Amino acid sequence: MIELNSVTKRYDSLVAVDNVSFSIKPGEYFALLGPNGAGKTTIVKMLLDFTRPTTGSLSLKGLTSINAACRTAVGYLSENLHIPPYLSGWQYLQRCAELLDISRSDAVDQCRRIVELIGMQGREYNKVKTYSKGMNQRFGLGAALIGNPKLLILDEPTAALDPIGIREIRQLLESFKNQGMTIFLNSHLLSEVEKICDTAAIINHGKLLVKDTISTIVKEGDTLEDVFIRLVKG
Amino acid sequence: MRTSKALPPIIRIIKYTIIDEVRQKSFIIMFVICAIFVFLMRGCYQGNYMVNGQLLDAGTVVKTVSKVTFHVIGVSVMLIAALFSMRVFKRDRDNGMQSCILSKPIARWQYVIGKIIGMWALSVLFMFTLHSIVFLISSISLKVIMPEYLAASLLCSFNLLFVVIAVLLLSLLMADIVAFLCVMGIGVVSFVADGISAISHSQVAQAMLQQSGSQSDLTGWKVIYFLWPKLSGTQQVASSFIGIEGFQGLESVYPLINVLIYVLILGALLFWRFRNKDII
Repeated sequence: MIELNSVTKRYDSLVAVDNVSFSIKPGEYFALLGPNGAGKTTIVKMLLDFTRPTTGSLSLKGLTSINAACRTAVGYLSENLHIPPYLSGWQYLQRCAELLDISRSDAVDQCRRIVELIGMQGREYNKVKTYSKGMNQRFGLGAALIGNPKLLILDEPTAALDPIGIREIRQLLESFKNQGMTIFLNSHLLSEVEKICDTAAIINHGKLLVKDTISTIVKEGDTLEDVFIRLVKG
Repeated sequence: MRTSKALPPIIRIIKYTIIDEVRQKSFIIMFVICAIFVFLMRGCYQGNYMVNGQLLDAGTVVKTVSKVTFHVIGVSVMLIAALFSMRVFKRDRDNGMQSCILSKPIARWQYVIGKIIGMWALSVLFMFTLHSIVFLISSISLKVIMPEYLAASLLCSFNLLFVVIAVLLLSLLMADIVAFLCVMGIGVVSFVADGISAISHSQVAQAMLQQSGSQSDLTGWKVIYFLWPKLSGTQQVASSFIGIEGFQGLESVYPLINVLIYVLILGALLFWRFRNKDII
């Protein structure tokens, strides 16, 4: 589903991603972990062709990331989500559906289902500027779910959510497992990652430290947090 | 098949570009101010005008005032188009629409084309509406129907395309306001250069140039003059339709070709620059 081959990204003298290679199989729930500035978001941006790798290549569903067609059936939730404040949540979802060339009636059906899924019934017609950060995040996740994506790329999806919201999002993501969806998750919430994901990779200073199944990474008596701190602190 | 699949996202981006611009208060205020100005110009059609001691007839007054209004609207809308275009990418980036659109199976060229056409269509509509008001005033109040006025307005749209593309390109390379000022500078130089050129063709100026023997020194300036974006020239060509001054040979088409070549070059640079730009 996703493949990174010797990917390096340099910003002048700074090496944001250093010769990273890994792959993610269809249906896999994968978490990319690392401290702030480790290069996680840069990898996400390269996957979506928001920035190009200095060397190496990335592919989604067998297509190179510079081909726009590789983003078909891919949902994305940005780390710093912004939604035009003059739109309502409903209008934003409709715009996203229109951009995916979904017919008007299908778009209405999908948006209605998604509003219910993200628990925003009754608030969908309010302007985005009246929403809290958490509500924004829910609509961002809703927008990522439009078009029934086969791959979800989520950059800190629970960043602005309260504990109840975090749990709801986790339950939502878990419910997609039966649908064969692949999830690429960037998160700091290691306890949530441990509950949701099958595999994880830890990067630090742009270098890949480990990529394996969670059960292999986390040994008996350890937590993902222990392993993470041990690896990152060297 | 490829073309039919590429079109719908472009059309949607055009639609959102227009909706997002029109929604702004500054756009509405600008339009209202311009419309009021055009209505106020109505007063200029009435009154007696003397040139060299001779009273101008009503037809000449209408044509002359309409032409002046035509140029004022043309230049004003260029300024407004530049003002609105300078923040298009920034606004899309800040409110998340850029990353939202480009995370979908939409290529960067489709996004850029949508933005260009959206801004251009909006500017053309803005100018055409103002020109139409002048057309209606002269048709209804003064009973002088000038359909060529509207054709001339559409011809002026080449200038707007140049302004939109130039500002969009420069806004990727420098601060928005600097991009705006640069393009306005290009426009000002174009209009001033055309004015100087018109003066230099007068008999007095020709005689002065021959006396000073500086004819050969002007070759370099003439090359620059011909290569400079002919925004003023395009507007002159368009306004020559009003009152049917007639086709004046290849020279009259040159400004249009000049602006079109610039549009193609700047458009290519814009696509290249945006292709290599990091999306935030």
